[in-house]
Amino acid sequence: MASLPRASVRARIHQPGIQHTTVVTLLLATYLSSAAFAQTRKNYTFTVGPHANISVDTQVGGISVRPGASDQVLVTAILKSDNVEVDQQQMGNRIEIASHWLPGADDKTGQVDYELQIPPDATLNLRSPLGALSAERLQGDVTMEGADAVVNVRSIDNGHVHVRTMRGPITVTDVSNGHIELSSISGDIHLKSVSGPLVQASSGSGKIFYDGDFGSGGEYKFTTHKGDIEALVPADVSADFRAHSVLGRVHHDFPLQARHTRFSTEAGRSFFGTTGKAASEVELRSFSGRIRLKRR
Amino acid sequence: MKCSDVERVLPELLDGAPDGAYQTEFENHLKSCPACSDLVSDMALISGESRQLAATDEPPARVWVRIAAELRAEGLIREPGSQPARPTLVPASTRPRWAPSAWWLAPVAAALFAAGSYVVSHKPAPQVAQQQAPAASQTPATSAPSVAPAIPEVANASPVARAAAKVAPASVPASPPLQVARKSAPPTVVGPASSADDQQFLREVSTRAPSMRATYESQLQAVNSDIRETQEYVDRNPGDADARQHLMDAYEQKALLYQIALDHIQ
Repeated sequence: MASLPRASVRARIHQPGIQHTTVVTLLLATYLSSAAFAQTRKNYTFTVGPHANISVDTQVGGISVRPGASDQVLVTAILKSDNVEVDQQQMGNRIEIASHWLPGADDKTGQVDYELQIPPDATLNLRSPLGALSAERLQGDVTMEGADAVVNVRSIDNGHVHVRTMRGPITVTDVSNGHIELSSISGDIHLKSVSGPLVQASSGSGKIFYDGDFGSGGEYKFTTHKGDIEALVPADVSADFRAHSVLGRVHHDFPLQARHTRFSTEAGRSFFGTTGKAASEVELRSFSGRIRLKRR
Repeated sequence: MKCSDVERVLPELLDGAPDGAYQTEFENHLKSCPACSDLVSDMALISGESRQLAATDEPPARVWVRIAAELRAEGLIREPGSQPARPTLVPASTRPRWAPSAWWLAPVAAALFAAGSYVVSHKPAPQVAQQQAPAASQTPATSAPSVAPAIPEVANASPVARAAAKVAPASVPASPPLQVARKSAPPTVVGPASSADDQQFLREVSTRAPSMRATYESQLQAVNSDIRETQEYVDRNPGDADARQHLMDAYEQKALLYQIALDHIQ
């Protein structure tokens, strides 16, 4: 209708067959429809102390978090319709935000997107089955859960990062000094410049890509069932490598120094050895995926 | 004062309300009883440290959910609906974490995880069990006795493992008796994909998140396929510890799928 020329529309309205009541009804229906799907923004502000605990939970919608003032949590909720509401409560230093559906809501009308500014040292828990989850430039622990959610974590220092998805891809960039545990059933996992005392990533059919230097003194475990594992590391990496694919192939282009291992050494399916001072332990395991350790 | 008396009054003393009458007896007993002395010092330490815990140090809600799932799987707590007067260990939340018709997913997820652990923790079949298999397969009547030892083994396992055995009976073939039973019985192996729990899982998803039904079903099929594939490999290579670990990983993936669904369809 919108694409029709005005004259054409006017002509149609003035056709004898179309009554004024019909036009009014159509306009009213359009208005009501647009009202029902009206997007509204709601802002909430909370005052908190150090190390606040913040949880956001939505059925459908994205959640993005970035650092703000050290004693304030600012939440902007963007509701796609009146069929969904936002519950928020503060209990001391703990803040819980959750959206809940009203009767008639569905994946479209029940969507709520959140934008948060939080103290950098806060502990963060995000959950959205359908939507993008992102957090950046924080220093507290971060936990994210989603089914199809696309997860992005960037620039987290000293905090633990726990992420799990069903098939949503996980990307973690510039994270250090924390425990990092990432798991997905079929989503790909990308780690770039990630290091820490414990870095674990597992995916069933998704692939795992690591681009970094494996830090110094950490434990790195990457596991897939049928997804490939690829690690791109500098030539001077210092690590003790163990790689084994039960049914897949393995490849590396490093001069590894051999050592004893509990794994059965099978040509083309496993490699073991150290480079440099073997500061970190790196274990790459797949059932049927391919494993590649490449020099940058 | 006896040891049993110490245990009885210990909570009051730790709460900081010592009674002068038995405080002296209490202290005298501690001097003569190393066991009670250790107990009191441990409890005092725990009690003192726990007071230092700030609210922000409390674990996230999902930890409570997992603990509750384990406890339910072990029958230590029941659904609030079945006994309204009984308190639940799951803390109140801003919205119900446990939908009445989906609560069963949590113990199933826990059981799946336990199934994986069970598979990995059990050693490959010893030689003697392998040797019994042909005889059992030749005479079906003798298969019953050879199955029998499997029952106590499962029964002696933890309650969660027993639940796991119910959920995925084919997932615990690595123990010797079950392996014999499998060889002796007709091929009635119930694959993970056909379990009743999976069907109920998909029914719940269809009802509560119909738009995601196809996605969950395809993911479930993929995970079950991974379990089957790994299981078959482990059957052929029972000594491959790494393959057994992958089997546990596959069960963990399935448990993760159930947990994600539980969160989604609440």
